[in-house]
Amino acid sequence: MTLKECYTAMGGDYDEVMGRLRSEKLVQKFVLKFLNDGSYQLLLDSLAAGDRDEAFRAAHTIKGVCANLAFNTLLASSEELTEALREGKPPQPGEEELVARVKTDYERTRQAIQAYQEGAGG
Amino acid sequence: MDTLERIADRQTILIVDDSEMNRAILADMLGNEFDIIEAENGKEGVAMLQKHGPEVSLVLLDIVMPEMDGFGVLNMMNKYHWIEDIPVIMISAERGSSHIERAFELGITDFISRPFDALIVHRRVVNTILLYAKQKKLTAMVAEQIFEKEHRSSLMIDILSHIVEFRNGESGMHVRHVHTLTETLLKVLVQKTDRYHLSQTDISVIGTASALHDIGKIAIPEEVLNKPGRLTNEEFAIMKTHSMVGADMLEALPFYQNEPLVKAAYQICRWHHERWDGRGYPDGLKGDEIPISAQIVALADVYDALTSQRVYKPAYTHEQAVSMILNGECGTFNPLIMECLRDSADDIPAGLSDDSIESRNRREMQNVARELHKHEELTASERTLELLEHERMKYSFFASLTQEIQFEYTVTPPSLVLSTWGSEKLGLPEIVMDPYQDEAAQAIIAPEDRDSIAGALRSTTPGNPVVQSDCKLFLDGEEKWHRIIARASWSSEEPPRYTGCIGKALDIHSSRLQLEHLEQQASHDGLTGLLNHAYAKKRIMERLEDRPSGRYALAILDLDYFKSANDTYGHMFGDQVLKFIADRMRHSIRGGDIAARVGGDEFLIFLEYKTDLESTIDGVYKRLAGGSYEDFKISVSMGVASAETVGVDYDTLFRCADQALYVVKNSGKGHYSYYEKEHAPVGEDISAVSPIDGEDEAGQAQHEEESK
Repeated sequence: MTLKECYTAMGGDYDEVMGRLRSEKLVQKFVLKFLNDGSYQLLLDSLAAGDRDEAFRAAHTIKGVCANLAFNTLLASSEELTEALREGKPPQPGEEELVARVKTDYERTRQAIQAYQEGAGG
Repeated sequence: MDTLERIADRQTILIVDDSEMNRAILADMLGNEFDIIEAENGKEGVAMLQKHGPEVSLVLLDIVMPEMDGFGVLNMMNKYHWIEDIPVIMISAERGSSHIERAFELGITDFISRPFDALIVHRRVVNTILLYAKQKKLTAMVAEQIFEKEHRSSLMIDILSHIVEFRNGESGMHVRHVHTLTETLLKVLVQKTDRYHLSQTDISVIGTASALHDIGKIAIPEEVLNKPGRLTNEEFAIMKTHSMVGADMLEALPFYQNEPLVKAAYQICRWHHERWDGRGYPDGLKGDEIPISAQIVALADVYDALTSQRVYKPAYTHEQAVSMILNGECGTFNPLIMECLRDSADDIPAGLSDDSIESRNRREMQNVARELHKHEELTASERTLELLEHERMKYSFFASLTQEIQFEYTVTPPSLVLSTWGSEKLGLPEIVMDPYQDEAAQAIIAPEDRDSIAGALRSTTPGNPVVQSDCKLFLDGEEKWHRIIARASWSSEEPPRYTGCIGKALDIHSSRLQLEHLEQQASHDGLTGLLNHAYAKKRIMERLEDRPSGRYALAILDLDYFKSANDTYGHMFGDQVLKFIADRMRHSIRGGDIAARVGGDEFLIFLEYKTDLESTIDGVYKRLAGGSYEDFKISVSMGVASAETVGVDYDTLFRCADQALYVVKNSGKGHYSYYEKEHAPVGEDISAVSPIDGEDEAGQAQHEEESK
């Protein structure tokens, strides 16, 4: 699996990220690092604990990282969730579906990266 | 990047972002050319800025962060004016224009939105750093020029005025003395009144201009100027022209007529021989018609003339000169200025003797510093920063060598900076922002100790700012004695403001414990742990002296048949018996009583009673005597003397109690008795003592029987 195929699998834009960061090595390094970032776990934990401020910051961080790496599918759902959680907003109907979407998108991204990692490792 | 090479050193960039990924991406893009330091939230970012100060060339700042967000950081940077020296580029995925606008209002240099392009970030970072470097260089150049200008002009004035002096045959110190005196008097004057609207700059300008007061003497013929002996009226008339001549010379200058220095010098030259009552020359001005600059220099001139030797007179002492001026022997002066002279009279001799080249230069530096201070953008020249950097390096080097807890506390922003070793020792970060709100920091020291040290520091003075205090610190859950030595920092404004402190905490735990141990050893009996005789005596005498009216009694007791215990069971066993009885004593006496081992098997108890001595003593005795230790029956003989009977003298009490004990020992042991006045000297009238609990010789025999 190539890095480009990995991007296709997760619904990201390989050409865009290469256009901005300009080095496949750099992109690869951060794509592999993505799974170690604690923000996703923090998002799930703080949602479970009902801490919407913390959840907002976690979603915001995921959105920022996805934007930088052009993980556009996860970017779209995490951006929507960020706005839904933004300070002062009470929970809206459909928020649960949104969280579920983020989970699905994250899972898809994770699987793509893992497959790439195994391919790259083997 | 070749443009960057023009800046000699590697620049440091601070990245403040809560996402490690984001920091890593930025660090990766910039790490080849810059030193990167990272902070994971706003609070940490501020702490980094506090620590690294002007070393940081640029901040890359995220907006949404825990603890303190990007706007919080910008607010702090504004509050402490860091934003004026350190450029900030904000990087954020926030798209709302209100966010961006607010960030620019708070002083950011640039805004980059996520997702960012590596080239753009790099380009903007480099541009911003170059721009600021250029600005810093310009700032330094301007500062340098001001310094040079000031330096050169005062140099020229020095040369000029010394030419006059040498021609005049004076010591060369006159000009300097007048300068110092003028500034001293002016500084006292502005504290007394704002009538003359004098700023710091005015004082400095008048001081410098004072050097030119006699410049007109250059036109006075040599034979008049340096005539030994009194001048004739005609010669004096020529001499008097020097003030007007000096003024004319300055007025004839083709340039600089509007320079404050030239204006002040004109006034001083022309009117420094005017007098308050209008009897001076050349214009006969009166009172405040004479400019204040000339009034002051006139007094300074007279004072220095009096205290210097001249061809026609000896030097008067400082005291003589001051009293001559105050008595009006040298013409009348403004009463307010006379008051200034009186007030500063004590400081003047020291001020003048300190009038070396160095102190002159120091003063000049201060003038320059004041001048620089007025130009907001010139708060610190490159030179100052270098010095500062050097000091910082020195400090951190020495701090890293010593194993000491060193600390620095600043009031605003409230922060505590610890040496590396100290931070490890205390288990705190090297920088603690808001230490009063920080639980970990507060757990180190008891609040009352903290407040007492803080209070002591705040009540120091700039002249005497050092405080020392011993207290316990809690390290790793253990209390350890430390000696805190700290120096308060005071600002240089009037009145000085407390700005924080620096200091260190020395571990004195083991020496403190050792001291306590030594004290314990010196005052206690090694075997039984009771007080020793010498220390008990001291304590008892203190009690007797403190309150001679108290009702005291001293009992001496002795273990009966102790020798047989030693002989039968050995000395180890004997020691155990002594410990056993000492334990009983500890439990038999009340809080204020004193129990001690006198020596061997002899002990003493000192007690105070309220009304009934007999029942008190009886209770003590019953708790002590009786029973046995293993096979050894405990029998105690005791003699008691009361202060009521024998007086409040320790030696008498002891001797009498001992006599009573002796009597008991000789009358069957195993009981106690009181010393009574009518007792004959020891051993002569044994029958006068009545056995109290009826033990007799038979009892002794029985005891011996049983203890075998």
